[in-house]
Amino acid sequence: MPDIRNIIKGCLAGNRRDQELLYRRHAAKLYAVCLQYSGNDDEARDILQEGYIKIFENLITYKNEGSFEGWMRRIIVNTALEKYRSKHNLYRVDDIDLIQEPDAAPETEDYAGLEAVDLLDIIRELPPKYRMVFNLFAIEGYSHKEISQMIKISEGTSKSNLSRARIILQKKVKLYTGLKKDVVSG
Amino acid sequence: MWSVDNKEANIDLLFRNGLKDFEVLPPVGVWGNIFPVIRKKQKPVILLRSAALIAVLLSISFLAYRWSKELSSSLQNPMLAVSEESIQVPDNTLIAENQGRMPLSDNIPGTTDRKNQATDQSGIVEPSDDEYISSFDQNPGTDEGYPANSNNIDIPAFNQTVQRFNYYAGNFKPDFEGLNKLDYEEQKEKINRWSVTAMASPTYYLRMEMNHNELSNQISSSEQSRISYSGGVSFAYKISKKLSIQSGLYYSSIGNEVGGINSFAGFSGYDYTKGDHNFEVLTSSGRIYTENADVFLLDNSGDRVVTRYTNDVFDPTKANLSYINNSLFQNFSYIEMPVILRYKLIDKSVDFNLIGGLSYNLLVNNSVHTVIDGSKYTIGKTAGLNPFMVSSSMGMGIEYSLSEKFSLNLEPTFRYYLNPFGEIPGLRIHPYSFGVFSGLSYKF
Repeated sequence: MPDIRNIIKGCLAGNRRDQELLYRRHAAKLYAVCLQYSGNDDEARDILQEGYIKIFENLITYKNEGSFEGWMRRIIVNTALEKYRSKHNLYRVDDIDLIQEPDAAPETEDYAGLEAVDLLDIIRELPPKYRMVFNLFAIEGYSHKEISQMIKISEGTSKSNLSRARIILQKKVKLYTGLKKDVVSG
Repeated sequence: MWSVDNKEANIDLLFRNGLKDFEVLPPVGVWGNIFPVIRKKQKPVILLRSAALIAVLLSISFLAYRWSKELSSSLQNPMLAVSEESIQVPDNTLIAENQGRMPLSDNIPGTTDRKNQATDQSGIVEPSDDEYISSFDQNPGTDEGYPANSNNIDIPAFNQTVQRFNYYAGNFKPDFEGLNKLDYEEQKEKINRWSVTAMASPTYYLRMEMNHNELSNQISSSEQSRISYSGGVSFAYKISKKLSIQSGLYYSSIGNEVGGINSFAGFSGYDYTKGDHNFEVLTSSGRIYTENADVFLLDNSGDRVVTRYTNDVFDPTKANLSYINNSLFQNFSYIEMPVILRYKLIDKSVDFNLIGGLSYNLLVNNSVHTVIDGSKYTIGKTAGLNPFMVSSSMGMGIEYSLSEKFSLNLEPTFRYYLNPFGEIPGLRIHPYSFGVFSGLSYKF
């Protein structure tokens, strides 16, 4: 299997085969990220296309430092963010409603039986503003301060959105787990 | 970046770990949408590279021209061309001395009359620098120190140099070999009217689309020329001093890569359901027809594979096929007969020619293959190719003389095909190519 550095070199030289190889090697993983950030397949497909175009355009700026896959993932996430900002640039009243984040340690549940595809379905059912904050905080690891700058909301709104996302997710996870158990026992 | 927090929710960990390394195959056709965009953005880079190449060629040409000019002017000027030693006993001084115009001549044995020089070669004493300079001072009127008003100076500068060499060798005789040499050069020019040249060049082919529609865009964006080559032997006849006509036989091989077509082996095992019908693929050069019954073709990003099977006849997802490659390679070979006119712009030690003419190309080989583990895997042929093509070419020839008979040639050439490689309804794609021919020529 060709080394990624050789593939990048080939892409920079305009080699069509290397460009296609770079796409095919990482497309499945990055498409899963796109699905995670979008509510529908068309939007995910757009993010993947636009993200990959940016990857090829900015390939020259990649300095072989750090994970290449991580670098590509950041570009895809930024593309998803841009899409989100272009669609949700207006504040709604409920965005600034703060709710108390639970102080207690999260409950321990038996989530056995839930597969990645179930988790993806659950996360995609979240309203866009909750999904975006949850993804950025829980999956990508950004702080509320960073998130507030990224999607132009206050830190408080970011925390509030995260709490709501968690509550919804917990409910849905329980529902899915229950359904799965029913299917297995029934 | 991860916030290490004891309060970190269990639900966060569940999603983070659960979705880590999760993969979902993207829909078919995404790459087909990405590729034309990045290709389009690369075109300015290709144009810039071409412009840079042209700039480099022009710079080399200009430098070579300057160099050849300097070389020729130095040959015409005896003060630069001959050695310092030979300059110190100029014939003009002798002539002037004979006429009694140079007072210094009495002190210089080398400036006694010609009869003495011829009989007493051993007593040569060369004039000092000061004497030499003053002798020039006394003969104003020319830059080169020759007396301007002397009627005796009718021998060309070149002949004077030849005479001086003879003088030092002790073989001086008032001959006119120099003049004869000029006659000889003229005769030689007349004799060497023919030349034979062997040349070869790597060639890069591009396509010019005459009509832009969805099909032609899809086809051209997925195809890529491979480096091709051309080479052969030609004869040239000099019609006049500047103009010559050239013809010969060349062999050229052209390669084209059709991307995004997946090929699989093992298709012949399903003949009982599909029959023996083979595949047809649209390309800018014509339609590829598979001759290998074992190959199954699938277009990743469009409708270029015209042959399709419904799932009840043949379902590739359920069949046990082996993936080979995602590109097909077309190869075309031509025998070329160029008829070229060459016009000599600069006739120095490095000659420059303008080249232009037509080439008649006869198709002699046509095949399509793909590659598996570095080996060729035959697919079939391209149908609908024009068996006879005409191309126009223009270029610039640089010719460097190695000897009287041999010279090195370098010819950057642009070629445009007047008719397309193949005929497909709705497609008019005219190829053009760049090549830098290099080779050796022999005059006879």
